[in-house]
Amino acid sequence: MNGSPPPPRAGAPAGVDAAAHAAAEDAASMRLAAHRRSRLRASLLVLASQIALLAAFIAFWEYMTAFDKQAAFMFGSPSAIGGFLLTMARDGSLWRDTYVTGVETLLGFLVGNVIGTLVGLSLWYSRFVSRVIEPFVIALGSIPIIALAPIIIIWFGTGLTSKIAMSTLSVVIVALVTSYKGAVGVDDDQINLMRTLGASKFQIFRKLVVPASLSDIFAGFRLTVGFALIGAIVGEFMSSSEGLGHAIFKAGSLYIIPKVFAALVATIALALVLTFIVGKVEKLLMPWRRLG
Amino acid sequence: MSTVASPALAAKAGAPAAAGVPPLKVEHVAKSFDADGRVVPVIGDLSLTLNEGEIVAIVGPSGCGKTTLLNTLCGLIAPDSGRVSWFGEAMSGQPAGVGYMLQKDLLLPWRTALRNVMLGLEIRGVPASEAEERSHVMLDKLGLHGFADHYPTTLSGGMRQRVALARTLVNEPDVLLLDEPFAALDFQTKLLIESDTAKLVRESRRSVLLITHDIEEAVSIADRVIVLSKRPTRVKAVYDIALGTERTDMIAARESAGFVDYVRRIWSDLDVTRN
Ligand SMILES: Nc1ncnc2c1ncn2[C@@H]1O[C@H](COP(=O)(O)OP(=O)(O)OP(=O)(O)O)[C@@H](O)[C@H]1O
Ligand SMILES: [Mg+2]
Repeated sequence: MNGSPPPPRAGAPAGVDAAAHAAAEDAASMRLAAHRRSRLRASLLVLASQIALLAAFIAFWEYMTAFDKQAAFMFGSPSAIGGFLLTMARDGSLWRDTYVTGVETLLGFLVGNVIGTLVGLSLWYSRFVSRVIEPFVIALGSIPIIALAPIIIIWFGTGLTSKIAMSTLSVVIVALVTSYKGAVGVDDDQINLMRTLGASKFQIFRKLVVPASLSDIFAGFRLTVGFALIGAIVGEFMSSSEGLGHAIFKAGSLYIIPKVFAALVATIALALVLTFIVGKVEKLLMPWRRLG
Repeated sequence: MSTVASPALAAKAGAPAAAGVPPLKVEHVAKSFDADGRVVPVIGDLSLTLNEGEIVAIVGPSGCGKTTLLNTLCGLIAPDSGRVSWFGEAMSGQPAGVGYMLQKDLLLPWRTALRNVMLGLEIRGVPASEAEERSHVMLDKLGLHGFADHYPTTLSGGMRQRVALARTLVNEPDVLLLDEPFAALDFQTKLLIESDTAKLVRESRRSVLLITHDIEEAVSIADRVIVLSKRPTRVKAVYDIALGTERTDMIAARESAGFVDYVRRIWSDLDVTRN
């Protein structure tokens, strides 16, 4: 942002406006710094409370399972989960499984969102086509993804491709619907303005509809990170030799509950990292949103 | 570089600008809307002429179809009957050389002030460096020197409306269609922007059709004020405004001798008690 205040121009009609702005800037920057400090303090307080809540939960869990063999078997214990995480990290399976599931999720996320967003946005072009396909989209969107898993395995085999396909399928309809909603939600007056400036339909699409839909598209991205991960894990449940879903399934069928939780912790960490990346990209692509 | 000093000439080079042909002529235009199966006549029978270099204000009761009229004139909706001629030719599609501005500034939040102003030039394929240059000049003229790189969210309402005005004027339109562009501004800001608009428009002899609810604004800025009736809308009265002052100074206009009288007469024409 251009920080230096503009010089007031003599005779300029808004000179008063600009001068007042310049004079206010010093005081404003001090107030801004104070405001930032108090905002930082508030978010630190939130973070501290979250850590305290988590710590209390873990302590409670540990305490309840420490003297009770049966509870420890049924629910695992934080220390046992930690132990499994350590072993899995040492023998490398933690990293390999996380990597495999991460790649499946990321590819499914990308393919599903690219296809869904492109179709959703281009539906803006024709109200007729979008009305024709609307019931089909709703029908497809209501299919529980797990019901498709057996067919997907038959079609795409038991390898990586079927997991990516599962992940893609759980993302694509949501991406389509959110981006279409964003595109048709553009203000009619704004479209009329573009028309009076002589814009073609493609120019309206590129210069107005696409950027105006960005915040809806990113809302879809944040939502579909989780869906992509679910798709990949469900795919691994059905048939696989590696991945976090595989680890959870195997440990579960052997009744090693702490190991199930250990793999779940890795799954949660993966989801958090992917969500964080989406948030960073969003900030990068929409710098005007940081102001306001 | 194309300077903004002689825009009227530059802009009119392509237009059929035979002397005496009014930029805009509206003859017996009518428009109805379909509301829940009922036909609601909005514009009854409307005729008016906008001459070159003239500022005409239109006032009328709320909901009488002023915005509908403006949308018809710039080709966003088609009239049921009647004739609209731009520069002596029957209208077909979007008229060229016409700028349009609303009460909402409609700035694109992802574009800086400068890039918002450049929008129209960009759409018409003007080279980026020239578009940038011209947009900078226009922002400067409107007192926004130094705010080119600001995003709309960081500008005040008055400044945002100035950017919207710059976005309209940078295309050097022969005619401006303005729909209550200053209605959302505070009184002081409004007077300043009105004066600037009048100055920029009059020095380059552009024509303006200004829709407003503000009778004092209409009388102080316009050469002619057209009063519309309730729906179905017709022209109820026309006033040629002669104030005998420099017509670019809104404060002087408001202090001139005839001002109050015009305002009072238009006020009674509008029959405000009925609304
Ligand atoms: N697309 C439409 N379909 C149906 N009715 C409409 C449509 N557009 C406008 N109208 C109706 O036409 C009438 C005139 O609307 P318009 O917006 O032109 O009024 P206006 O004079 O600009 O009002 P205001 O002074 O409040 O801005 C209103 O009664 C409105 O409800
Ligand atoms: Mg209106």
